[in-house]
Amino acid sequence: MKNKGGALGFFLGMGVCGVAFAAQPMTQGKAFNPDISANFLGLWQHGTGISNDRTNANHNGFSLQEAELQLLSDVDPYMRASALLSVSQKDGTSDFGIDPEEVFLETTSLPGVTVKAGKFKMALGRHNQLHTHAFPFIDAPLIHQQLIGSEGLNEAGVSAAVLMPTSWYSELTVQGFNPSNDTLYKSPSSGDVGGLVHFKNLLDVNDDLTSELGLSATAAKNQFNQTASVLGADLTFKWRPAVGGKYHALIWSTEYLDGHRPKQADANGASQVNLGGVATWLQYQLDERWWVQGRYEYVGIPRSVGVSKQMKESALIAFLPSEFSGIRLQYDHSSPTSRPGKDDHTIAVQYNVTIGAHPAHSY
Amino acid sequence: MKSVFVKTIILAVVFSAASQAQAKLRVVASTTDLRSVIEIVGGDRVDVDSIAKGTQDQHTIEPKPSYMVKASHADLFVAVGLELEIGWVPSVLQGARNPKIMHGEKGYLEVGPFIDRLEMPTGSVTRAEGDVHPFGNPHIMLDPVRVGIIAEKIAEKLSELDPPGHDAYTKRAQDWSAHLNARVKEWQKEIEASHVTKVVTYHRTLDYFLDRFHIALVEELEPKPGIPPTVQHMVTVVDKIRSEHVPLVMIENYYDPSVSRKLTEEVKDLKIEVVPVSVEGAPGITNLEKLYEALVNAVVKAKK
Repeated sequence: MKNKGGALGFFLGMGVCGVAFAAQPMTQGKAFNPDISANFLGLWQHGTGISNDRTNANHNGFSLQEAELQLLSDVDPYMRASALLSVSQKDGTSDFGIDPEEVFLETTSLPGVTVKAGKFKMALGRHNQLHTHAFPFIDAPLIHQQLIGSEGLNEAGVSAAVLMPTSWYSELTVQGFNPSNDTLYKSPSSGDVGGLVHFKNLLDVNDDLTSELGLSATAAKNQFNQTASVLGADLTFKWRPAVGGKYHALIWSTEYLDGHRPKQADANGASQVNLGGVATWLQYQLDERWWVQGRYEYVGIPRSVGVSKQMKESALIAFLPSEFSGIRLQYDHSSPTSRPGKDDHTIAVQYNVTIGAHPAHSY
Repeated sequence: MKSVFVKTIILAVVFSAASQAQAKLRVVASTTDLRSVIEIVGGDRVDVDSIAKGTQDQHTIEPKPSYMVKASHADLFVAVGLELEIGWVPSVLQGARNPKIMHGEKGYLEVGPFIDRLEMPTGSVTRAEGDVHPFGNPHIMLDPVRVGIIAEKIAEKLSELDPPGHDAYTKRAQDWSAHLNARVKEWQKEIEASHVTKVVTYHRTLDYFLDRFHIALVEELEPKPGIPPTVQHMVTVVDKIRSEHVPLVMIENYYDPSVSRKLTEEVKDLKIEVVPVSVEGAPGITNLEKLYEALVNAVVKAKK
């Protein structure tokens, strides 16, 4: 049977060479090609607090929010490698640039530990490790944007993630990196090394419900050559029933970050050293292809005098025609205390498609 | 005091080493169906656990970290392959940090590639056709005859990892395979007596079962694999059920069966059977043989 298929393929290949080459995804020459996928995020938005200047990366109207190209493959029996190149608009121009969002190798052959080296999303809580197309909402939580920037904490370094010998999933990750993050670190010397520890625990309450608790801490020199740090905590409950789970699920996530940034101040010299905030969101799958979601955010616990409190509420409805496509409508209302009575409203529509051999998202 | 302490430690180490030597082979299977085969072939020489629940669609399991913990202790991981579990098994294996069971190692087995498959795509595959499988239909566990071959492949793998068990594994696999083949003949007679020769299913899950018992699959409720039924497609389905005199619609029980209401309104005497398609997919379906019995019964009940 197998031979017949092979012979037929060969025969077709001989007969209609060009067509057969395009048609056979598993020809020998391609067998070792990495899994290649691309993800496109398109956006239309209109917000009272968003710029109409199209050289601003986050602007009103239509935009190509991001295109991500991903290559993933085993290198050899010992490790695998992944490259995720992000194409997005550069701030201050309407031109696009390519950034190595993640380029790393990780071990597959070491017992109990995964060692990773390269440039990758640091294990600061849950949200920071998500790619843009996997964000639960169109934008990242405010506290993430304000503490570590819209790109998140994504540095060059090394990482070791140890699976603890417990009956539940318990993982301790230790990372060392070059503190280059513009918003939080930007240390004066490339020789400086930053550190991060992440302790992640997941417990299946039963077959339907899983809980996750994570604690993180990171510290490194900032642009003033002082040690800046962020402490994080995240708590998630995921309910997807073993019976009927194709149609319904509920996810409740909360993430808190508390940043300490010595010598950081606003234009008037008011201290911005302490900045903490929380985001909590619910995602409910009400049918096979429909999700409704809500998010509440509070920035300013704790806060220094130069930091203004900010509250934001978001609502989102998503339609996912298949696991490879989605269209989402989001409304945000935010109220910064720095401008009393001047609330911001934003409405945004985003499409999200994936083509090619895309790896599964983490749980 | 000190010497007692040292002796205790030495004893503890010796005993733990001894108990390790006698320890059973730890096997984790991706599905309850595979677990059922391994239980029979492995007998008391193996401890076997599985990941996907019988009530879940095996294509869309979430790679929960607790599965990684399970796989982290395994000596052998068994999967169907053929891209059935592509959305979650790679994540589970990567997260398990257990070099013994990585792809290409002795402790990793995919049974699908050993089996003759149905619906091998001949031309190019594109997702415009929905969730198509480039290596053929992966729901191979629903054919009792192919499962007999799978049992023998699993016996070979268990023998490789646990050579003293070779004879026991081989005999159990051969006996069970022979038993299933004999039962297939009985089931075939029951199905023939029912005169049910055509069915409609929700997804192309039951193809191997239907093919084995010479039942034609006339149409699926899904317009394309992985795409939920549409009103327009249901009209086509109703037409086909009428024109081809299909007596039975089998709905895999993790799908929402409410879509079938329209069918029963439109077609008189049409039987709808919501069926389990995996071990533990319904109460009492504790092994593969019981699963096949349940499916045969569902067909026979639609007797003309």
